[in-house]
Amino acid sequence: MSRTLEVKVLRQADPHSGSHWETFDVAYEAGMNVTTVMQRIAANPVTADHRDTTPVAYDACCLEEVCGACTMVINDRVRQACSALVDTLLADGAGVIEVRPMTKFPVIRDLVVDRSPMFQSLKRVKAWVRVDGYYDLGSGPRVTRQEQEEAYPLSRCMSCGCCVEACPQFNDHSAFIGPATISQAVLFNSHPTGKVDRDDRLAVLSGVGGIVDCGNSQNCVKVCPKDIPLTDSIAKAGRDTTTYKIRQWFGR
Amino acid sequence: MAKQHVVVIGGGLAGLAVTMRLAEAGIHVYLVSMVPVKRSHSVCAQGGINSVNELTRQQGDNEWLHLDDTVYGGDFLQHQPPVKEMCDWGPRVIHLLDRLGVPFNRTPEGFLDQRRFGGTMFKRTAFAGATTGQQLIYALDEQVRRWEADGLVEKFEYWEFLGPIVDESGHCRGAVVQDMFSMKIRSLAGDALVLATGGCGLIYGRSTMSMICTGGAAGRAFKSGVHYANGEFIQVHPTAIPGTDKLRLMSESARGEGGRVWVPAKPQDTRDPLSIPSDERYYFLEERYPKYGNLVPRDIATREIFDVCVNQGLSVERGALCVYLDVTELSPETHKKLEGILEIYEKFQGVDPRQVPMKIFPAVHYSMGGLWVDYERDGNTGGLVEGSVRNHHSNVPGIFVIGEADYQYHGGNRLGANSLLSCIFTGLFVAPTLENWLKSLPKGGAEDQPVSLFDGAVAVHQSDMDVLIRNQGDENPYKLHEELGELMTRCVTVVRINKELQDCVDKIGEFQERYGRISIADKGEWTNQNFSFTRALGDMLTMARVIAKGALQRDECRGAHFKPEFLIPAPESDEPAELRRQAQTWCDAFKVKNEKWLKSTIAKYTPSGPELSYADVDTSLIPPRPRTYGLKGAEIIEETWRNMTAGGTGDRGGDAVVAPASAS
Amino acid sequence: MADQPVSPTQDKYYFLVRRLHSLTGLVPVGIFLCVHLATNATVMAPGEPGAMFQESIERIHALGPLLVPVEIVGIFIPLLFHTLLGFQIIFTSRSNAQQYRYGGNVRYMLQRTSGMIAFVFILYHLWQMHWFGAGLGGGAFELHDEAGVATGAATTAAAIQSAWWVVWAYRLGIVATVFHLANGIWTSLITWGITIRPNTQRVSGYACTALGVVLCAVGLGALRGFATFDVTSADPEAVMSSGTRPAERG
Repeated sequence: MSRTLEVKVLRQADPHSGSHWETFDVAYEAGMNVTTVMQRIAANPVTADHRDTTPVAYDACCLEEVCGACTMVINDRVRQACSALVDTLLADGAGVIEVRPMTKFPVIRDLVVDRSPMFQSLKRVKAWVRVDGYYDLGSGPRVTRQEQEEAYPLSRCMSCGCCVEACPQFNDHSAFIGPATISQAVLFNSHPTGKVDRDDRLAVLSGVGGIVDCGNSQNCVKVCPKDIPLTDSIAKAGRDTTTYKIRQWFGR
Repeated sequence: MAKQHVVVIGGGLAGLAVTMRLAEAGIHVYLVSMVPVKRSHSVCAQGGINSVNELTRQQGDNEWLHLDDTVYGGDFLQHQPPVKEMCDWGPRVIHLLDRLGVPFNRTPEGFLDQRRFGGTMFKRTAFAGATTGQQLIYALDEQVRRWEADGLVEKFEYWEFLGPIVDESGHCRGAVVQDMFSMKIRSLAGDALVLATGGCGLIYGRSTMSMICTGGAAGRAFKSGVHYANGEFIQVHPTAIPGTDKLRLMSESARGEGGRVWVPAKPQDTRDPLSIPSDERYYFLEERYPKYGNLVPRDIATREIFDVCVNQGLSVERGALCVYLDVTELSPETHKKLEGILEIYEKFQGVDPRQVPMKIFPAVHYSMGGLWVDYERDGNTGGLVEGSVRNHHSNVPGIFVIGEADYQYHGGNRLGANSLLSCIFTGLFVAPTLENWLKSLPKGGAEDQPVSLFDGAVAVHQSDMDVLIRNQGDENPYKLHEELGELMTRCVTVVRINKELQDCVDKIGEFQERYGRISIADKGEWTNQNFSFTRALGDMLTMARVIAKGALQRDECRGAHFKPEFLIPAPESDEPAELRRQAQTWCDAFKVKNEKWLKSTIAKYTPSGPELSYADVDTSLIPPRPRTYGLKGAEIIEETWRNMTAGGTGDRGGDAVVAPASAS
Repeated sequence: MADQPVSPTQDKYYFLVRRLHSLTGLVPVGIFLCVHLATNATVMAPGEPGAMFQESIERIHALGPLLVPVEIVGIFIPLLFHTLLGFQIIFTSRSNAQQYRYGGNVRYMLQRTSGMIAFVFILYHLWQMHWFGAGLGGGAFELHDEAGVATGAATTAAAIQSAWWVVWAYRLGIVATVFHLANGIWTSLITWGITIRPNTQRVSGYACTALGVVLCAVGLGALRGFATFDVTSADPEAVMSSGTRPAERG
């Protein structure tokens, strides 16, 4: 098949440069995804108007939507490039594939952005189980099947950043910590051992940028590639921070 | 005295496990990773993690049988003491993960649920849906983040390992690393360097491995003098789905939960698979291996798929190795346990595997071989001496290797769900070794080494970069990589033929020449992925040659390494006496073969190509035996072998030869 | 995401302040809106036009000298607080409803838009009707004329009918305000952690929609009542006979 795709990529040389669009003609292949498109551009970095350019810089790792690396905005929607199948994109109407970096993080180059704030937030809410140590101290706490089924979906968060990209409350003018982090705090607060740091997490969630900065647009749950019930977590955090604050005001 | 540091390269399960244990011991760690550690390739592991557990124990299982399954599965190519140690540690590893909050699936009563995996009769595999690797790495990532917050771990994410810093005395004093954003090269002084850099699937172009699994780090260590062992042992997973960018794994857990592999009995039957009645389906694994059924080890399943598709012409898709993996008969509850992979299939293939049998293909998946490391055997237990500075120590003093990057645990073929165990086990187990190593060093750590040592190392890599980036030529790195992938996939995967392998080795040599004429489109010095990839391609070529040459020289069939030219002909006579005679001949040949080839391949770098030598394998715990997995028609071989080896009983051959030492 | 330094005090009271924002929207202001709309709707009551409306207002005005403090403390201060903080919240949001056209996101955008519309509308409404506006040429509402004749409905209706666009301004204002309240109740149920699962949120969504529709019907009905109120033919005697003069109540 000699069909070609028109692919527009928003390029940016480095964090300090401006951005500009570049268009590429890429030969269509059955079953190809946006990652493949980037690979083909890298192998032949020539724009549609026959100018030599550099390969597009982009993040990619597992290519099966479990690592979260290749998150970008494709045809106006944030998603992973690996699971963005060209056929689906074309079927969705647009004749063009338009790729740009996430807008909520500083651009490093082209489609590569710095998502380290997400990992910093995880530190703030102590998103871990504080065990005594790594020597063998026997098995963990008994967990019911129901508890596991509640925890597992939350634990699939790959810090890809889709939720914060689509969140209207997560931006330069707001300190909002974002749905992913709130959900992780809820996850660890529900763990039998993780609970010990519960109040520390709730203190962060009830502070500036915490749960009250959520505006309930619920975009997070719509764009989450792993179908994490983020809005459930947000509502739970709302409830738990309320009772936490009341406990605080009444001296526990 | 300067503070001692350990430099850990790679933030997958092994790298994170060692980092958290070192931090717990108060040792400062530099953790270097090409991606944020949470995105490491370990996330791709799906099915689960093996360990003897309370349930299997009461069904007759124990650590010894786990060891036996592992070495039998690996065709006896592993040194047995490290494997024994790993199997003994299994329950401890699971306990720890459980405590760290891994959401393992539960039984209704709240215990860990287990599923069966390939190459065993026991349900030894703990799992978290079908995304176990992801769940495990998140648990370890969280622990390391905790230590990072405490200041004991300093992460270098989006940094690439360029090579070890080795002083004149041959000791490793740290590593040269490069910031993948600013392209700045710097040194990290370290009193020990731990390589936990995973596999090298990208050598095969497309595989089930992530884009970072170039084998670049291993290649750089190899060039710096670390030996590489058993490179030719590359696992081809029987069940994956093809893609234009990578091949996506469909976990063995699909079969562990009852999924069945079949092809239509009629070649290229065009009917809707669901409309094909069961008597017109060929469940070839179940028919040929009644005992293990669909859960034969991966090398065997892959070869059977090859046989059914190529030799019998029964492939579902003409010209490909394609069979059905059918989970349509499983219950919705079981489908839920497999959700992670069924979602992947649905997302990427656009077909619901709960309704329609999956079309699956074999794909390069894992490297059993890896950088060579030592161990110290414990004479009493048959396992390892914990804390010995020899454990996981490469031939270069100060360089340790763990996880998929080392060669020790899986021999000729890895059993499913053993890799997560080996990664975490080696990470945890090497920590006391490193503590002792640091203690054993004379005063004046790596930081007190002359500045010139570090600056010199940085300068070498800087000039290499400058040369490569400015190189003018007509070769395109991505196209060369594609050719390499095609070549390796054709010659060094399921079926290996010496003529083709020789051709492959020669071709790689040509590729290396062409690499000298490589031209990089991006000459910039900011986040130059074009350059990083091209540099890694050089390492891929180096390692491809190690793999291909190893395969060429190893004239036998063992585990994943299958050479029909050297297959011992199976007894097939209808006449009982003649059959017995043939079986005897088979067993004699098997013995001779083991004497010659039951050896680790050890590759040493030279500028003109790898030099191979062979070292004995420690099979002191379980004597090697024919690996038939109850293949129909092979009973006579087992029987004959039992008669030949004194004291052997039962179809598990070596079980009774040595009493389980772990029982105490 | 923004890296402004946060003082410990700010951090400590942030939650309280934001929860008060939610609370003020619900309790004094939200309840007042319901009462206000319901009271206005009495203009449509059968019988003498405006009589029941007059009676309802008289009952409120029975507070006498307490009316103004109650108004200020119970309504204006909470409303002002809710409004000011509302603007702060709007300032920190960056709506993307154009890009992500999900129902929830559109409602998110509308909540902010309706809040701003409500703000302008309430200012206008206060100027036009309340005695606050009297000095600025507004303050049209008068419960009685100088002769003590009941004029509540008539003066209101006159103001509503004073220009063709006024009724449209009120329609927009009422719909925006009611939406802001109904949607605000829906989000507050999440904010306070009462509705957690998508299913319960869906059910509460239906309930809030129903409330909104009823309130809109009530508010727009009242508006229609005033818009069609025959200002000229209103019989002051009839109004008076069913109403009560404040002076007579003692």
